[in-house]
Amino acid sequence: MSGTVRTTRLPIAERVLEVNDQLAEGVRADLARRGIFAIDLIGAPGSGKTALLEATLQRLQGRRRPAVLVGDLATRRDGDRLARWCDRVVQISTGEGCHLEAGQVRDALGQLDLDGVDLLFIENVGNLICPVGFDLGQSAKVGLFSLTEGDDKAAKHPYLVTAADVILLNKIDLAPYLTFDRAGFEADVRQLNPTVPILGISATTGEGFDAWLGWLERSSA
Amino acid sequence: MPDVHEFSIADALATQVLRHVPAHGRVHEVEIRVGALRGLEPAAMEMCWDAVTHDTPLAGSVLVMDIRPWSLTCPTCGRVWESPVPFADCTCGEVAPRPTATDELDLVSMTVEDEDGDEDEGPVAAATPDGGAEAGERAS
Repeated sequence: MSGTVRTTRLPIAERVLEVNDQLAEGVRADLARRGIFAIDLIGAPGSGKTALLEATLQRLQGRRRPAVLVGDLATRRDGDRLARWCDRVVQISTGEGCHLEAGQVRDALGQLDLDGVDLLFIENVGNLICPVGFDLGQSAKVGLFSLTEGDDKAAKHPYLVTAADVILLNKIDLAPYLTFDRAGFEADVRQLNPTVPILGISATTGEGFDAWLGWLERSSA
Repeated sequence: MPDVHEFSIADALATQVLRHVPAHGRVHEVEIRVGALRGLEPAAMEMCWDAVTHDTPLAGSVLVMDIRPWSLTCPTCGRVWESPVPFADCTCGEVAPRPTATDELDLVSMTVEDEDGDEDEGPVAAATPDGGAEAGERAS
């Protein structure tokens, strides 16, 4: 019989990220029970995720009771910046991990006093691909792009564009100095996701924040 | 962990497959189905699969990827077709067909080799087959 190999094909039919998905559903149920609206903020390194949250937290002071989870590869710098504007911040150091997973969110939430919290921002690791496929138990995904990244970023990252509940285009104050084709960018987004709101903002000047905060208020009401 | 999403997926997949490996089995093939939205690069995925399965009972197994394509719908002539990329012109000249795709990421099956009693180099020692194999036979 030597040299003969018998093979058996075993049908399995399971989701590969089933463990993460189950943890995410647990997080989602816990947040819903507490009445917390959770944002998963996804954008490239340098797109302005932390700056967006700083400017947002600043404007929400006295109006909402937010908490923040911030994923970072190696440093505490983002967490320290955000702690100026919010007293409930947990830094999740992901080491070399390129995205957050639901178990990390669950564990980080366990470190927070969530009494009274009504809004949770989760700043994902700077990356336009990996984080999209991992459910964190969020209520909405925010896709953050910026003028300095180039106008083809949306077309090159269709998963984020199709998965996003709102697309923010940051650094619009730099438009006079760049050759960013905003109409082309928005056409690419529209082709992939015809109904998603596209909001131009500047985390530096505050331009466009009325629309962004309005979206946030309506979505989390 | 390398900064590629294929690595994360390969890692999760290997953990999952290992839960299903029978005690006497060597895994010959693992089959997954992946929606185009996942943006999986087959060559990168194969490399990551080899890396994460090294020194495990899955070492040397072949990863078969059924990548579900984009579906493009032309708003002008109504034609619907499959495409590996989301942006493509229609034959009627329309430059903005609507792309849609799925994001499934499913472990479909695995194929286990049962070798007849031979000592082999694999990390899982070949045991006496239980006679349950019925799916196929091939010369090695």
